[in-house]
Amino acid sequence: MIRVLLADDEAMIRSALAALLRLEEDIDVVAECADGTEAIARALELQPDVCVLDLEMPGIDGVDVAAQLSRRIASRFVVVTRHARPGVLRRALSSGVAGFLPKSRGADEVAAVVRKVAAGGRYVDPEVAADALTDVRCPLTPRELDVLRVGRRGETTGQIARTLSLAPGTVRNHVSVVLGKLGVATRQQAVLIAEEKGWI
Amino acid sequence: MVKNRSHARGPGSFELSRGIWATWWYTVSAVLLFELFFVTAWAGAWGTAEGRNDVDPVVLAAGAVWFAGTVWLLLAYRRREERGPLLPRRDIPALLVCAAAGIAMLVLTGSWLAGAAFVLQPISILNWQRGVRLRVVGTVTAVLVALAVIDRAQSSVELDPAAWAVGMAFSIALPAASVTSLWWWDVLVAFDKARAVESRLAATQERLRVATDVHDLQGHHLQVIALQLELAEKLMARDPDGALEQIRAARVSVGEATQGTRDLATRFRTVPLTDEIANARDLLQAAGIAATADATVDADGAPADVLGPVIRETTTNVLKHGGGRRARLALETRPDGWRYEIVNDRAGDADGTDGSGLQGIARRVAEAGGTVNVRREPHEFAVAVWIPGEGER
Repeated sequence: MIRVLLADDEAMIRSALAALLRLEEDIDVVAECADGTEAIARALELQPDVCVLDLEMPGIDGVDVAAQLSRRIASRFVVVTRHARPGVLRRALSSGVAGFLPKSRGADEVAAVVRKVAAGGRYVDPEVAADALTDVRCPLTPRELDVLRVGRRGETTGQIARTLSLAPGTVRNHVSVVLGKLGVATRQQAVLIAEEKGWI
Repeated sequence: MVKNRSHARGPGSFELSRGIWATWWYTVSAVLLFELFFVTAWAGAWGTAEGRNDVDPVVLAAGAVWFAGTVWLLLAYRRREERGPLLPRRDIPALLVCAAAGIAMLVLTGSWLAGAAFVLQPISILNWQRGVRLRVVGTVTAVLVALAVIDRAQSSVELDPAAWAVGMAFSIALPAASVTSLWWWDVLVAFDKARAVESRLAATQERLRVATDVHDLQGHHLQVIALQLELAEKLMARDPDGALEQIRAARVSVGEATQGTRDLATRFRTVPLTDEIANARDLLQAAGIAATADATVDADGAPADVLGPVIRETTTNVLKHGGGRRARLALETRPDGWRYEIVNDRAGDADGTDGSGLQGIARRVAEAGGTVNVRREPHEFAVAVWIPGEGER
């Protein structure tokens, strides 16, 4: 029996998927959670074999839940999403997510992926992979990404310069190049784009 | 994507493409050159009057100070905002410098025309509202002509008639010539803004078209699904098998709707093949596979419609089969076409799940007249695809 934890903030989808998965003979849904925080607490308590996590959840998203849990319990993780933002797959794979599929897949396919993942395999849906492969390349250099990464919480130019051991003028140059490349007006907007695309 | 840099400056300020700045510098240097001629003309005229066949150094010095003031004001013109103040506070000193130089000129030479020209030129290039500028320049020119007549009548300074004529011509023409140049600049700015608006409009229209397509598509499918479900509901009691069939049909319709929406969304998404290969490498590396990618730059000319799906399919295959450690992707240009190869260390094709994927690849490649070569070895799995084409000559 594969013990599954299900986390999705949309109650209709969560209960329907849970009911459909319970119909499978070898799958038992042990917990249904409405958000990431609850999913982490229940997973630590129940130690399920597979966690099926919705990517878009308020607070902690599916990939972050997987990243936090993968260090503490031996569960396997499947992330489902309605709209795979470019870069998310890369982030998911590096946080130890074993399965990634769009929400449009039927429950029988979800069950098949749960089985495959529980058996130690990995599954990446071709649709999600196609999205990731046809993503525009990051136009920023590693140093420019460093500047955005260090300054993502609104740190001042001076703080960024100290952290990276650069001159403030150099940091300002990097920032203005970044703004030009991304076509935005502020460093904050650049950080948002870079986070959304999974570059930092 | 429409670039939006308007937040960097105040609202209503100009947001311009880079190429137009060359024209700005060209405009400014034309005006400055004219001013230079104007200053040397007067300095030369007084030099001659004083009996030296040389420029008058004091007049030249006053002219140089005035020139610096106008440079400042001209550069301020570039920063101006359409509905901004006539004379921003930071530009007041420059205007005062010009005025002081003008008074100095009047005292030095006794010429009302020269002194007034020094003051009226900077005034005519201030940030006048559209339409007002024309009247200002008209008035300024009329005043200068009148002062020229007065100067001639007074003839306080004996000047060589030819030198006087040159100085007078420059003085009277200067404001009009400068403003004409700046007007030309304003026209260019207006064109540039129109171009930006046009590209925004095109993007909006495109969005509208996509929205309409999505609406039509979803509307159609939802209607079909509603009918299928209604039929199933009515059949349920009398003909359970028929009802089941309708429900299955509804599920197929849902799948079609999803796929259709997706196809719409990805219709405009194409990236160069070399980018796709690089993305594949990043993805495999994120999954803990030591992946390398070699793609020659000119390989971007390869047929993306055939090779793109092949790259996606083969990369997904490598990802699906966990446990791999190495993968190598290569896309190269050959004299007779393009060759794509992906090699990984997966031990054979154990579960055979990607059989259909490979068949799909073979079909696509065959349609393009190419070949697929699959090599299965105990510790290596390789798919090589060759597509004929122009390639490298």
